[in-house]
Amino acid sequence: MLYKEIADSFNLELDASNSIEDINRLKVKYLGKKGIITEALKGMSSLAPQERPTHGQALNQLKREIEDLLSKREEHLKQIDITRRQIKESLDITLPGNRIPIGSLHPINLVLDEIVDIFVSMGFDIEDGPEVELDYYNFEALNIPKDHPARDMQDTFYITEDIVLRTQTSPVQVRAMQKSSPPLRFISPGKVYRCDSDISHTPMFHQVEGLMVDTDITFSYLKGVIEVFLKEFFGRNVSVRFRPSFFPFTEPSAEVDIGCIICKGQGCRVCKETGWLEVMGAGMVHPKVFENVGYDTSIYKGFAFGMGVERLTMLRYSITDIRLFFENDIRFLEQF
Amino acid sequence: MKAPLSWLKDYVEISDKPEGLAYHLTMTGLEVEGIEYLDDDVVFDINITPNRPDCLSILGIAREISAIYGKPLSFPEHNFVAETGELDFNIDILDDELCHRYAGRIIRGVNIEPSPQWLQQRLIKCGIRAINNVVDITNYVLLELGHPMHAFDLNKIQGKRIIVATAGKVRKDENPVSIKLLDGSQRVLDDDMLLINDASHPIALAGIMGGEDSEVTTETKDLLIESAWFLPSSIRKTSNKLGIKTESSYRFERGADKKILKKALDRATYLIHQIAGGKIYGKIDIYPKRHKESEIKISFKAINRYIGMTIPKKDVIKILINLGLGIETSGDEITVKPPSSRRDIIRDVDVIEEVVRLYGYEKVPSVVPKSPIYIKKDTSDGFKTRLKRIKDIRYLLKGYGFTEVINYSFMGEDEINNLDIKDDDTRRHTISILNPIRQEDKYLRTTITTSLIRNLVHNYSYGNRDLRLFEIGKVFINERQDNGLPKEPQHIGLLLTKEGEKQLYRDSSEEFYILKGVVENILDDLCVKSVGFVRSNEPFLHQGKASDIIVKFCSGEQTPTTPQEESLKIGYLGVLSARTIERLPVKILKQDVLIAELYLDTILDIMVKELPIFKTLPQYPYIERDVAILIDNSIEVARLFEILRSYESPIIENIRLFDVYKGKGIADDKKSVAFNIRYRSNEKTLSDSEIETLHNDFVNFILSRTGGILRG
Ligand SMILES: [Zn+2]
Repeated sequence: MLYKEIADSFNLELDASNSIEDINRLKVKYLGKKGIITEALKGMSSLAPQERPTHGQALNQLKREIEDLLSKREEHLKQIDITRRQIKESLDITLPGNRIPIGSLHPINLVLDEIVDIFVSMGFDIEDGPEVELDYYNFEALNIPKDHPARDMQDTFYITEDIVLRTQTSPVQVRAMQKSSPPLRFISPGKVYRCDSDISHTPMFHQVEGLMVDTDITFSYLKGVIEVFLKEFFGRNVSVRFRPSFFPFTEPSAEVDIGCIICKGQGCRVCKETGWLEVMGAGMVHPKVFENVGYDTSIYKGFAFGMGVERLTMLRYSITDIRLFFENDIRFLEQF
Repeated sequence: MKAPLSWLKDYVEISDKPEGLAYHLTMTGLEVEGIEYLDDDVVFDINITPNRPDCLSILGIAREISAIYGKPLSFPEHNFVAETGELDFNIDILDDELCHRYAGRIIRGVNIEPSPQWLQQRLIKCGIRAINNVVDITNYVLLELGHPMHAFDLNKIQGKRIIVATAGKVRKDENPVSIKLLDGSQRVLDDDMLLINDASHPIALAGIMGGEDSEVTTETKDLLIESAWFLPSSIRKTSNKLGIKTESSYRFERGADKKILKKALDRATYLIHQIAGGKIYGKIDIYPKRHKESEIKISFKAINRYIGMTIPKKDVIKILINLGLGIETSGDEITVKPPSSRRDIIRDVDVIEEVVRLYGYEKVPSVVPKSPIYIKKDTSDGFKTRLKRIKDIRYLLKGYGFTEVINYSFMGEDEINNLDIKDDDTRRHTISILNPIRQEDKYLRTTITTSLIRNLVHNYSYGNRDLRLFEIGKVFINERQDNGLPKEPQHIGLLLTKEGEKQLYRDSSEEFYILKGVVENILDDLCVKSVGFVRSNEPFLHQGKASDIIVKFCSGEQTPTTPQEESLKIGYLGVLSARTIERLPVKILKQDVLIAELYLDTILDIMVKELPIFKTLPQYPYIERDVAILIDNSIEVARLFEILRSYESPIIENIRLFDVYKGKGIADDKKSVAFNIRYRSNEKTLSDSEIETLHNDFVNFILSRTGGILRG
């Protein structure tokens, strides 16, 4: 049969085809204007009219099969071609990426950000004040007169007799209270300075202090707010205790301890075997401080608290030497 | 304060274990910092806060224990019979503001010997050295009752009299008064320092230390025992000025008890008589300023309102009585009379503290305040907003590979000198600290650059040579503001240095442009518009690789008819000069060190963060043309772009620089600059011929203005 001959010769040629060029040649040879199929269709005119439809159908069927086989073969050869090219272009994908080097943020500021975020989420505003401060705001307005033994609690850097490097961020509270009337709810984060330098003290460190003033503030609110903060910061399971202490600007005053997060309260070197870590100071604002800023103490009450950011950062990342924070060795800083 | 358990037990019954006692003391405000277990005793180390001088004694701590456990307190034996008859001795107080009471007792015929063992042991447990029986007894009573006393050798007091007066009052001539103290030191005194004098000269520095002249020695037979009250601030001032801290000054400056003074004198007399023998003679007690009894009125309701819980009335009353406070109640009112030992209880809140600390802080419930929405009254761009913008910059810089540092706000003389900044520059007007810890930290920094150089030196010396550092912090400029304080603007400092070729992937661009790119991005983030980079003459930067950063703005905003363009320096960037580098304590030879400093507060003050306003996306296609021209080397790109921008056409959408080339094939004084121009109209699709006409005109304009020629 004519069709069978055509089909057999095509299959032989197709099997031998190895490139897109071969495929194109076969397209021309069989399907082109002068191709075998086309010629065969033309040759039908020599057939009897009643035979034509059968022949025609068979030839067209063969044409479609050839087209189909050619396009499959073409697709296959293209794929082989791409694969071959890609193998040639292949990279060592285990080489490190060309990274934009990512830097790091200072651990103190990371913790400071976190503290600020917690208080902001509780509706606290943020206030700022000068680091070079008048003795009046740093001490006197906070109920710490000159020649008062409470000044022993803080070794002060002096610029002049009346100007100091602030030893605490509390002067910001006084300035803020002078500026606006209650209710007040804010924190004041920042750098403070004390004339002290050893393994656990640096001449500069960071504090966050907070203040809340309104008509109905109680000691039990103070406990409530501080507990919320400490549980946000150290985790829900941390135990918190308040014990009496002394600050000239609060009355009553409290030290706030958390159950040692290192030994879980069993006693270790960090907590000096007590099972507790001192993390904050707090208290009800001393009426003397309110009087100094002109608040009516029969109407307004308030609480204040403060914490050392270095201490919290050391606990968070198990850092043992406070001086590392300000040496700024990148081998240290890049760990955070 | 060290307190032996056995001694405490003399005055109050203690059945609790030492750990239990320590816990209860800590939880009521006397923090036990350590417990020392001895063979025959337990010694507590207690941190006494400055408001509680009454607890700087065994009896004071025993009183707290008695209040905690509700056990009675007993007072040590102090009764004796004295000889009668005229006392041939006088005491005068010339400065009764500084000395409110002065009492003296004369004892004759004592035997000075070592103290008995039990007494020596108690002193040693409390950290005090035993000397002889009389001195030891004054120390013993100091520990026991908290009142400091002094024993004089009566026969060494000239003129049979004591004069309590300041150095100024007893000074005989222009020369300042001086005294040789018990510790052997000779001290020159200020006029306002209070002294105990005899008829001819000072014999003790009041309340601080006795003089050597009148010291009790083994030969001493007759004694004058002093028990007095001195003004705390005066004692503190003198003690600080002379740098002398004693057990005595420590207690006087915190406030002694005017009333216990007499009991302490009696107790010491009693003990001396018992231990050193002798005959007790009369006592002189000058008491010009008497203790004022105070009364504090407070209601049970006020206590409960302050604390936020109801403490039963009977508990309040019991606590106050156990603490030794006098109270009277009538209805809801309590009248509290604090004893003379409790000078810290002055007002209602002090009483509330006593109640709540003994009731127990742990019994107060933790309540989260009902929280009304808090609206700030002033609507100014608060610190919170500023902090947020600073935080954004910090995260941006982290993304650019910079590591954040925090430096002390200090700098040393050498460090600022090393920047070669001229004397009239504000950065040389430093603020100095009167009492720096070290000379290197004597000044407040006026620039962040000194701090970053410190970090460079530290890191370099440890082999960390690829550095990208930044700090956001304050510098301090010695210009008084209205509030009397110096300026403290926030700056951003950046430092970049790279060890060089050893890199897997090449980035060949000059580091100057890397840092400049970072700076430009920060300024972009801060919405700073019309930024300019002009040649800098910062003396510590490489002359050819340094730029000042300026902004141009119209100062005539209020009167738009006369806008005046001004420029303001907002920072600088550049390569550190070889001169500055070579004076550093580390050798940095092969790499450039780049520094940038931005005056953040200035920027934040002048720039308002504007919300972007949406612009419709372009609807018509663009057409691009590249131009490469050869121009004089001296024309900086900024100048070239000024020229390009001066050609006004609404369809020039953007001009982008893509190549600057000097070198092979180009004359030494020329450079090739290539840029891409994108044309687009908002109204229609531009035809090639329209563009051709405009482009040719534009190119001709450029060539004529720059004197350049078109390249190939
Ligand atoms: Zn622990």
